[in-house]
Amino acid sequence: MEIQDIIVSHDNTRNHLDGVSTTIQKGKITTIIGPNGCGKSTLLSVMSRNNIPISGNASLENKDLVHYKAKAFAKKLAIVYQQNDVPKDLTIEKLVSFGRLPYRTMLKRNEEEDAKAIEWALACTNLLEKRDNDLEALSGGERQRVWIAMALAQQSEILCLDEPTTYLDIYYQIELLELVKALNEEHGLTIVMVLHDINQAIRYSDQIILMKAGQIIAEGAPRNVITREVIKEVYSVEAIFNEDEQHGFYMVPLGI
Amino acid sequence: MTKKIVSFSIVIVLLLVSAVYAATTGSIKMGFFEFIGALFDEGNSQMEAIRDLRFPRIIVALFAGAALSVSGVLLQSVMRNPLADAGVIGISSGAAFVQLFIISFFPALFFMTPVLAFMGGAFACALVFALSWKSGLSPLKLILVGIAINAMFTGLTETFISLGGSLNTSASSVIGSNLTMRTWKDVSTIVTYGTVGLISAFALYSWCNLLVLQDKTAKSLGFHVARARLIIAAVAVLLSAVSVVVAGVISFVGLLVPHISRRLVGHDHKVLIPFTALAGALLILVADTIGRTMAAPLEIPASTIMAIIGGPFLIFLLRKE
Repeated sequence: MEIQDIIVSHDNTRNHLDGVSTTIQKGKITTIIGPNGCGKSTLLSVMSRNNIPISGNASLENKDLVHYKAKAFAKKLAIVYQQNDVPKDLTIEKLVSFGRLPYRTMLKRNEEEDAKAIEWALACTNLLEKRDNDLEALSGGERQRVWIAMALAQQSEILCLDEPTTYLDIYYQIELLELVKALNEEHGLTIVMVLHDINQAIRYSDQIILMKAGQIIAEGAPRNVITREVIKEVYSVEAIFNEDEQHGFYMVPLGI
Repeated sequence: MTKKIVSFSIVIVLLLVSAVYAATTGSIKMGFFEFIGALFDEGNSQMEAIRDLRFPRIIVALFAGAALSVSGVLLQSVMRNPLADAGVIGISSGAAFVQLFIISFFPALFFMTPVLAFMGGAFACALVFALSWKSGLSPLKLILVGIAINAMFTGLTETFISLGGSLNTSASSVIGSNLTMRTWKDVSTIVTYGTVGLISAFALYSWCNLLVLQDKTAKSLGFHVARARLIIAAVAVLLSAVSVVVAGVISFVGLLVPHISRRLVGHDHKVLIPFTALAGALLILVADTIGRTMAAPLEIPASTIMAIIGGPFLIFLLRKE
């Protein structure tokens, strides 16, 4: 996906994205990080067409995003938002089956394909046994997996995740990131996500986009992007970096 | 699953029993078997009276109840709000006012009353939407805005009647939310438009189910949220407008029936919409029959009985919110 000179403003007084250009590489995990209000979620929502930029353009496979029909686009890109209302009286399988909507029309649906895709989505997210449970009965981590399963049922090439770990405890955070990694490695999905935890971004990403005040400060492989100077500049936090055989590259924040 | 079947069976049986009871009770009384026999007896004079007076009333009550309840389900889905009801949030009174207003000045348009009522209802619905959209359609805000809109249209209608009630006699029939003196002409209006509305509502069940998702999530599935909202809301307004035209403004049906129905058959609109239609038909028929027989020969309108039951119920729902 190509993003060029995107400007977005939610209130017409200040630019929430101020001339952002980048390229999302196919088959890679790209993570957008940055302080609160830096525009990372906005950038993600431009990619998913939930935000229409004032100027600039975003294109996928040489076709402007705005030129895609809604369902055609939903087959290319799926997104899981940070917070989701939990519908009452809805089984997991039923919710995941909503992900097949892009493949259905008023008169036509391919039951076999749908069943296969739903089965696959449930298997990937380890929800096969809970498929008949109500969503309300699940823990936060499991719910997040259900939303991901719904997105997977769309069988899109790109999966976007907006702060997928934010409301989870550390166990579920890691479980979720391992799932993301597996989806990328085993099923070749292109992943674009927004994370808060810098160490998680380092560990699970091929590419990092670091943002501040609506602009991209640095992007590239984690090792190249995350440095002491950049963290100081973007977050105003002093940190040291270490690398060892066992743990790889990691950051230890010291203070402000 | 069995709970659904049992619920459906009970409502259908009650519906049949109440319909027969309603047809055989009142100033002309008949036993059950006498009634069944008379049904097929062309020359029975008592049956003639029942056919002309009670049958239209029963059919109108059934359809008005079904239409209002399903209208409630649709509005609740569109506004993502369990408290939406065409009567409470002013759609019905908007329909009643616009219809009354235009007919008073252009009596020639009388044959277009359902269309006029639809326009009035749509206007009120658009107002409620526009004024509570900013708060993200929060349930309480929407109800407050709706009550204000309802008060405004009811006030306008009453002013209009006080000023020029004698202007046009057809006006009073618009306002009286009483089911007496319904004719077979009323029946044909409500059956025609009601059937169209109810079938359309059922055809939209999968859209209603998708609206439980947040807008942006539904959008990301390629679902045209705004278009779906508009169409579903239009069907809801049609259903409430047609029942206003024939049966007058009856509030709270669309609140009470869907809420109880969800408890019995769940949230899936494929089951919920048909069940609500049946349960709503039952409720209004029972309300009307009680109102008609309780203090005979005096009559209490069905809308009054609904207000007496519905008011406390709304408070109960608000407390739970």
